[in-house]
Amino acid sequence: MVAPKSEAELTKLGILKDELYETIKEHGSESRTFSQADLKGLGVIPNNDTMMLLNIIQALTNEKLLVGVQLPGGEIGWRWRSREDAKKYTSLPDEATMLVYSEIDQAGQDGVWIRHIKLRTNIQDATLKACIKFLESKGFISSMTNVEMPNRKMYIRADLKPSERATGGPWFTDGELDEAFIKAIESIIFEYIKTHSAYMSRGTSLPQRQPKKGVVTGETRGVKRVATDISNDDATAMPPTAKGVPPPKKKETYLPMPAGYKKYPTVNEITEFIHMQKVSSAMLGVADIQALVDVLVFDGLIEPIKVNNRKGYRVVRPTKQDTMSYAKRQQEREAHPELGETVLGPTSVSSAVTEAPCGRCPVFELCQEGGPVAPSTCVYFQEWLGLTEKPIVANGTAPP
Amino acid sequence: MLVTAPLAEFCTLMVDEIYGELPSRIYASLLMRGRSTIQQLAGDTGMNPRQLRHGLALLLQHNLLYYHLDTSSPQYFYEANVENAYNLTRTGKILEMVEESYGAAAKDIMQTIILTGQTRVGDLVDAYQKRIDRVNRVKEALMTEDPFGNGTDSHELNSDISPETKPEPTSPSKKPDLLISSTAQLKSIICRLVDAELLNAVHKTTYESPEDLLATVESDITRTYPGGEVKGNKAKAEYKDKVAEALRNHRNESKSLKRKLEQNGLSAKRRKLYDGAASANGTPDGEMDLGIDLNQVICLNYEKCLVELRNRRLMQFSADVFGTTTSWVYGSLLKLLSKEISRCRDDPIIDHYEKDEERPAPAVVTTAQILDALRTSLDLSSGLGKVDAGQISAAAAEKITEQAPRKKFFIDAQAEVDGDASSDEDDDEEDVKPVVDLNYRPTAINGVNGVNGTHVTNGVNGKVKIEGGERRVDRRTQLRQHLLLLSESTQGFLRHCGVDEWTVDFEPLMGALRQVELDSAIENTAGREGIRLVRMLRAKGKLDEKAIMSVALMRKADMSKKLAEMHKSGFVQTQEVPREAKADVKKSFFLWYFDPDMTLERVLDVAYKTMIHSLQVLDMLREKDHLILSLVKRTDVKGQEDDKLRKTYMEKLSRFLKLERTLLAQIQRVDDLVAVLRDY
Repeated sequence: MVAPKSEAELTKLGILKDELYETIKEHGSESRTFSQADLKGLGVIPNNDTMMLLNIIQALTNEKLLVGVQLPGGEIGWRWRSREDAKKYTSLPDEATMLVYSEIDQAGQDGVWIRHIKLRTNIQDATLKACIKFLESKGFISSMTNVEMPNRKMYIRADLKPSERATGGPWFTDGELDEAFIKAIESIIFEYIKTHSAYMSRGTSLPQRQPKKGVVTGETRGVKRVATDISNDDATAMPPTAKGVPPPKKKETYLPMPAGYKKYPTVNEITEFIHMQKVSSAMLGVADIQALVDVLVFDGLIEPIKVNNRKGYRVVRPTKQDTMSYAKRQQEREAHPELGETVLGPTSVSSAVTEAPCGRCPVFELCQEGGPVAPSTCVYFQEWLGLTEKPIVANGTAPP
Repeated sequence: MLVTAPLAEFCTLMVDEIYGELPSRIYASLLMRGRSTIQQLAGDTGMNPRQLRHGLALLLQHNLLYYHLDTSSPQYFYEANVENAYNLTRTGKILEMVEESYGAAAKDIMQTIILTGQTRVGDLVDAYQKRIDRVNRVKEALMTEDPFGNGTDSHELNSDISPETKPEPTSPSKKPDLLISSTAQLKSIICRLVDAELLNAVHKTTYESPEDLLATVESDITRTYPGGEVKGNKAKAEYKDKVAEALRNHRNESKSLKRKLEQNGLSAKRRKLYDGAASANGTPDGEMDLGIDLNQVICLNYEKCLVELRNRRLMQFSADVFGTTTSWVYGSLLKLLSKEISRCRDDPIIDHYEKDEERPAPAVVTTAQILDALRTSLDLSSGLGKVDAGQISAAAAEKITEQAPRKKFFIDAQAEVDGDASSDEDDDEEDVKPVVDLNYRPTAINGVNGVNGTHVTNGVNGKVKIEGGERRVDRRTQLRQHLLLLSESTQGFLRHCGVDEWTVDFEPLMGALRQVELDSAIENTAGREGIRLVRMLRAKGKLDEKAIMSVALMRKADMSKKLAEMHKSGFVQTQEVPREAKADVKKSFFLWYFDPDMTLERVLDVAYKTMIHSLQVLDMLREKDHLILSLVKRTDVKGQEDDKLRKTYMEKLSRFLKLERTLLAQIQRVDDLVAVLRDY
């Protein structure tokens, strides 16, 4: 390395240095790597003097304003660094701390695992710990957790936000899946789809006439017949007990939309709605909302439906849906916290096997007549048939 | 049908429950040892030949056995007919179905046939004649006291209303026996049931087990080939076709009675029935007798009964998905359609057709037919949302799908929609001409909007509109709306297969229903999070935990716990994939997946066992209350329990009866599930 010869040259070098730095900054972001040819191409150095360029680069690197990086071809390239960041480096007390900080700095938003720092820098454990402690106390770095590897001790520059990959996206808070938040957004989405994919009937239409059993007259049943064979006189057909009982009750219910309905909400519309409602400070992108919608599909609450290549979502089993409005239900929940969490959608179809005790039996596999557990002595069956209470009561209150 | 141990046990218990211990022991032995001769049975059961003959006769009478006479051996081989034994569970349902669609009188006959097993028509006529005579004698004696008992006419009308709602008979003369008032009526109902294929003729291959029949047919056909061998691909295909055709002929033999009746003018009878009144009042009508052979032996045709039961189940399913109005439309459609359908599932051997062109075309119904069959009391304007015509894409709604869907179409709704995107070319608006203008509510254009509004505006608009020109909509258009809704469904309820023509692809539809049943079984065991994971695995295939976590948006601990729980109950499976040649467990991937077949087997197994356990608990209860039950059986108490029994006994009896009802009803419920999973 050739030392500068005179005062004038030093000043000249200083001016050129500043000029080169500013020009580099103009030519790209901090992530751009400049090769030697690139720097020459900037035209800052008079006569493209390589020697002088190297000197200036050296000076900038010493001031931490440029960072040397190895290019794929074995050549060396440089990236620029802002003056504030450079100041942080220069304020560090020793080489080791600087190394550690540069590792963390380079990792950027992803953060870096402490073991990786150790591996790359070859610094002893105690020193490393001291460095980290110092950096943390200075407020240069902070620890973070990665959702994918929650057990790793990771560090990140204090002024950076952990990347989406590290935090797991908007659904994570402090590296933990934010289930309450997910549930809240889910229920809003579900409510939106429900109200926009099914028709709310106020039940004010004519009193619904239900078809009745066995109104066909006489012998004609079971063979092809004309419509006139069916008595449509409700008065004679309905049994006297049932007649006149149902006053046209205003029962709210959701009804399915006619076929070919074009306005089933799409994911884009749902995302827009969520933005309009300003439910969350976190930015929820289309992909995030799609993930939640998919979960709702997997939960069997909504189904995708395609009309003319437009993929919308509609609620399943509309007539079984709860018609109470979302706001009202929220109020009710607040008033009665003992009700517990609201479950989205209608209750599931009950299954015959799980209704009987056997479908839910913990010792189902062992149960056999003549075995240690047998149907004839089964307590679950007794309970299910309502037989258990009686003996207990009898024993408890039996007079002496 | 695959006979598993629990199924065999259940069938034995069922035979025991209905026909008693003697036949059930024989039946159990047949199930355990396979086909046996009478000597082998004697050895296995330790019964004497007389007992065995009684038992076998009873089982044969009720069609619970197959027998086969091998040409090389002088012995008859007996084999258990598991299907029919299992179908005993469905007796109640079948009777209910018959009553609903064919009337109480038909149910009465059906019940008699089920109780007696296979019956000669002549015997049936005699038995009913005796009953009618007896009742008539009683009635004549009472005639003077009873001002309302003026013959059969009034009662006949009453009896057509479902009996649950029928007012209590005011006079003792009105006994249910009067459902059938003449032998002519009896015969005409039998004809009708035969026409509906619910009753079959018993013929010489009724008792051949399907395997025996196949073997016989195969050996017969092989013999026609030179050297008794089938060589070459072409000959093999031809051979397969020949076997299928021969088996079809055998199967059609049970329809011989129906064909004979048709020749005798069943269609003429149908025509005659158009003026309903003449036959409705039950006047003895000589012309109704279509010359049904009194020596003909008839029996119940479970296959067709299952088709009708399946219709009911599908109707329920559509009611669950779309609501009752649409389901009634669907019910009428299925009823029309199932006239052409003899069985729920095609047999892979019998219904094998070498060329697709030979395969019978699926049954089709037209809109007009459905409109004719629909109950007039059904209000078609209800049950569907109302929106602007502008919000409806007529082209999408009216899309005609001529081809049946590919197999596995309904595995996953999402995949289906995605798949559609690539294969659809005919989505252009111009391509499909709407047949009927979908602008079915022309008065509603001025801002009635059930979609964009909030609840409140929605409701207000709804009110305004309903008072408007709602009734003006043509019934046919309304009907089409329901049909189009059904054909748009992701479950595939209906296929719009031609202009105003509709058909149902049962295979994928039943697949969807099976999936719903399995899902509900899983959801009720493993909760909503469990079913979320299962649906996800079904849609995406095999996944490792990290992938599952990111899609399911569940905490890792919760998810692992749930997966382990479901693995234990057999709903999900794992596969270990080593990362390198040396399989290190720590480094291996563990992929989770969902196997629908395995889960189905598993749920079926649980279902059979649940039914077994219910029967065993019932036995235990009977044992507990045997004192009272034996009391009730005494002839001097029977029928007058209220008067003869002490109050405490009466209470115990009614409690027992309630429990018995609960348990039997539960068995019926479980059977509904089994039917969907296995038979429909």
